[in-house]
Amino acid sequence: MTPVLELRDLRVTYAGGHEAVRGVDLTLRSGQTLGLAGESGCGKSSLAMSVLRLLPKDATVSGEILLDGADTRTMSWGRLRAVRWASASIVFQGAMHALNPVRRIGQQIAEPILLHATSPPDEVDARVAELLAQVELPPEKAQAYPHELSGGQKQRVMIAMALACRPRLVIADEPTTALDVIVQAQVLRLLTRLVSEHGIGLVMISHDLSVLGSVCERLAVMYEGEIVELGTAPTVVHDPQHAHTQALAAAFPTVGDPASRYAPATTNPAGLPPRVVPEAGEPLLRTESLRVDFRDRGGGWTHAVRDVNLEVGRGEIVALVGQSGSGKTTLARTVLGLQQPTSGQVLFEGRPLPRGGRALRDYRRQAQLVLQDPSSALNPRHSVYEAIAEGLRIHRMPGDERALVAAALEAAELRPAQRFMPVLPHQLSGGQRQRVVIAGALALRPRLLVADEPVASLDASVRGEILALLLRLRAELGLAALVITHDLGLAWNIADRVAVMYRGELVEVGDVEQVLLEPRHEYTRSLLAALPEVAAPA
Amino acid sequence: MTDFLAPVEETIAEAPPPQRGGGAVRYLLTKVGGAIMSVLMVVVLGFFLFRVMPGDPVTIMTRGRPVSGAQLDQLRAEHGFDQPILVQFWNYLVGLLHGDFGNSYAFNAPAGAIIGERLGPTLLLSGTAAVLAAALGLWLGAKTAWYRNGPLDRASTGVALVFWSIPPWWLGVVLLMIAGGVFPTGGMQSPDSPTALVPHALDVAHHMVLPVFTLVLAIYGQYQLVMRASLLEEMNSDYLTTARAKGLRDDMVRRRHALPNALLPTTTLVFLHLGMVVSGAITVEAVYSWPGLGQLTAEALEAKDLPLLQGIFIVLVIAVVIMNLVADVLLRVLDPRVRAS
Amino acid sequence: MTSPVWARRRAAAGRVWREFAANRGGLVGVVVLGLFVLTAILAPLLISESSLDVTRATGQRLESPSGDFPLGTDENGLSVLTLTLWGTRLSLVVGLAAAVLSVLIGTTVGILAGHFGGWLSAVLLRFTDFFLIMPSLVLAIALSAVLEGGAGTIILAIGVVSWPTSARLVRAQTLAVEARPYIERARALGGGHGHVIFKHVLPSVLPLVFVNTTLAVGTAIVAESTLRFLGLGSTSEITWGGLLRSASSSGAITYGAWWYLLPPGIAIVLLVLAFTLVGRALETVLNPKLRERR
Repeated sequence: MTPVLELRDLRVTYAGGHEAVRGVDLTLRSGQTLGLAGESGCGKSSLAMSVLRLLPKDATVSGEILLDGADTRTMSWGRLRAVRWASASIVFQGAMHALNPVRRIGQQIAEPILLHATSPPDEVDARVAELLAQVELPPEKAQAYPHELSGGQKQRVMIAMALACRPRLVIADEPTTALDVIVQAQVLRLLTRLVSEHGIGLVMISHDLSVLGSVCERLAVMYEGEIVELGTAPTVVHDPQHAHTQALAAAFPTVGDPASRYAPATTNPAGLPPRVVPEAGEPLLRTESLRVDFRDRGGGWTHAVRDVNLEVGRGEIVALVGQSGSGKTTLARTVLGLQQPTSGQVLFEGRPLPRGGRALRDYRRQAQLVLQDPSSALNPRHSVYEAIAEGLRIHRMPGDERALVAAALEAAELRPAQRFMPVLPHQLSGGQRQRVVIAGALALRPRLLVADEPVASLDASVRGEILALLLRLRAELGLAALVITHDLGLAWNIADRVAVMYRGELVEVGDVEQVLLEPRHEYTRSLLAALPEVAAPA
Repeated sequence: MTDFLAPVEETIAEAPPPQRGGGAVRYLLTKVGGAIMSVLMVVVLGFFLFRVMPGDPVTIMTRGRPVSGAQLDQLRAEHGFDQPILVQFWNYLVGLLHGDFGNSYAFNAPAGAIIGERLGPTLLLSGTAAVLAAALGLWLGAKTAWYRNGPLDRASTGVALVFWSIPPWWLGVVLLMIAGGVFPTGGMQSPDSPTALVPHALDVAHHMVLPVFTLVLAIYGQYQLVMRASLLEEMNSDYLTTARAKGLRDDMVRRRHALPNALLPTTTLVFLHLGMVVSGAITVEAVYSWPGLGQLTAEALEAKDLPLLQGIFIVLVIAVVIMNLVADVLLRVLDPRVRAS
Repeated sequence: MTSPVWARRRAAAGRVWREFAANRGGLVGVVVLGLFVLTAILAPLLISESSLDVTRATGQRLESPSGDFPLGTDENGLSVLTLTLWGTRLSLVVGLAAAVLSVLIGTTVGILAGHFGGWLSAVLLRFTDFFLIMPSLVLAIALSAVLEGGAGTIILAIGVVSWPTSARLVRAQTLAVEARPYIERARALGGGHGHVIFKHVLPSVLPLVFVNTTLAVGTAIVAESTLRFLGLGSTSEITWGGLLRSASSSGAITYGAWWYLLPPGIAIVLLVLAFTLVGRALETVLNPKLRERR
């Protein structure tokens, strides 16, 4: 029987000579599932798009792409159009933009059905309803426009659309990347169920090895345009051979695994610091029944933060965990004085936070912010030197500016400091940029770092390095940190205590081991249950 | 587990699917309120604009003419300029509410009546030109964006830029010189225009050819360039990749997906630029002696007839404000994204 | 520290110029613009006062082109060529000044409305929207009719009515910049309003403002000639719009005096087109959004 998809020596080269895919061979038989893992820029998306010949015009493709035995690379346009969606369909990354904003969901699902005439015209509406039912959406949603749906619902619509013409192959490109843990779990479960029910071949692409491992039978790991490792999911995840696969696997630690407690994956010669026990006594930061309300567009009130009492001790790392919309970012902004609380107060070293003026500026020297996406957290026009000196100049810090900048760069392990100073952010890698942001914060010699998803937008292999840096800074400088994250693995990796936030409230606070291993609140349990699981090797 | 989790997504991520009815009413109220604000601002501006100079409008109106002090005083009393400014403002407001724009100095008649007579021809001319220019501009804009950097794009974008750079009235003068023999050179109808409806309409249409042609050429370029840019922006959208992946032919991808998305914001712009059409119409009317508000503006300027100018100003701006209100409402009906925000 | 910064800026300027020079339209625009500027500067050296004086006119009324008068004469017997060349001066100056004035107002309003939220922004936006939909020519006519006077009035009238477009653009750009996380970082570092506006917002808005000014000059020149054509401004000043007004009121159209009607108009079109071409070329180079699109 011919495989559903067979790639032979596939190569994709972009104008300018960049070789995105360099000789890939893959075979997928009917009903099989394959996960394609790799970091950004490894060529996995180019590979996916080449199957239906959807790459931009400046890309040159060579090799063979056999879809049901026919080479899509050399097909006539008419034949190719007939094959598209009918034989193979795609669930695109970012359903937000992949749906046409001005057409109803139902029309968009029906479009390929009508085009390929896979259902009689008078049964199209019924088919759309059936598809919506399959992705667990009510049939009324056919009348909705994309902006009226949530992120998870849009991704469900994308899946319904992909199944519309009963294809033999579905390619899912990062289908859950922008979604919350729990929604991600729901979408993954749905996708797995539908694919096995209909006997569809699935190629799923992701940077997250554990997500792939929980859905796919086999995994292929891509690195610099080549497949460096291919095997059954359990062996690749639990017993990686290639160095790059090992880095990917280590980036997503298993909660409860003692080997990764206080030990993010790092190859830095500085290693991991000895374990630090935070000093007892008066906490550095404390919030007292903090509330933050927003007036929403409809004129009602959104209670973003409700009665939150949180403490961060001196030199302590606290992870604030919750899904998007839980109010954790609002809490962080309030702690920094970037957002005024509706009621309650924030106390730093026992004193309430000043509300404005010079006093607030002085406080901000003590508590510094590290943002999620370092590529947008740095002004693209400012050099590294200017970015770090920005805070020094605002606070007119005494001492030689150049020496202070150099010291900050050293502290963030950007060495030699001189080499980095004149560089612009876009010339740095993601991890280096995040180090610059951290250096800018360290330059002011703060007592507390508030880090909002500090590694969420970084590649897996860099993630561990930044987390290890936070641990070393805590050990060396006594720096306390409030780390906001949706990632329980991160909390397991570095935090002393964890606070779980749900709909504006802290539902569970305690030591990491206690909360993550013996969760008491139902929400914490469901968060843990939503973590993708990869079966142990047989 | 699922029962606990199901509501999470529903309530947090999808929190406000706006109640359509309430949203529509609020939208309409906001827009109508905005339009009323604009009209009030025009009314206030219309009054104070013509009184910013030291002295009073009578001094300006009679500048460069031999007038005695007694005549000046008489004029002031006639137009009420001898009263305190707030009293004048009050009288002006009360007058406006009764449709009274004051008396024209040059025509020696109520300004409102004169403006009313001239409103129709201006609406006919600028309306026809706006519709034709929008159709031509949007069509060319879509074509040039599809075949971007091709010969058609290069040539027609260049031509659009040239026409956009030409002052409309000068274009009128040149056309008048070239085609003056073939088409009527002035007015809206022949002195012996037939009275029956159809022949009369044909006569007016014949008179309209040159002014409308001039105005269309002067304004279509802007529409073409905006449409082109807006379609080019849409052409990189991810949903077009989705459409192509579904197996749609390229022209269907454009027609069904790219075009509707690009057309909606461009249509708003067409309405937003109605002020531009009116500005163009004013000068073109003056060139072709089209008996509308534009020619009236020129006459009022010659005669330094400030009450008349003030009236024209207020009427024109209110007309544009109303057209924009219509556009806003129309866009909300057409574009689901506007309904969302 | 200054030297690497300056080296970087020099390199950036070089890059902008290379990208700009690759745009043929923009290059043509620059050359045409250069010729006009040269004409404006050299006009007093080439043209004597007497050749602009009606009382010392040497030609006949509306004489067609000849050796003495390459572009014929006007209704007073003055050389149309001389008058057109001289008209360059005021058209350029008024166009530039009005554009700068309008962009200055627009940028200030745009940044204020974008940076500060709340009632200030609401009021400014209301004003901007109001002026945006206004038929600006009508307002400019009204203004210059009331104020009377020469070039200064016209500059003021055009500048005061044409700022909303740039205000909208600058506000949009300000909002885009302010939404970037590095602004949040600057605030968290302790930076106040002044810091954010002058260190982050203004530098990123400036290229846009520059492009906008270039494009606005073209519009301003058209507006100026239109006001002149309608008889506004001082009649003693020689401008292209003014020349065309005298031409059409002296019966040049029915007389068929193309030599009187065409040169000033062509000059307007060429100058406006030059500014527009340069502006559009600059836009593709400096506007990051457009650059990504290509």
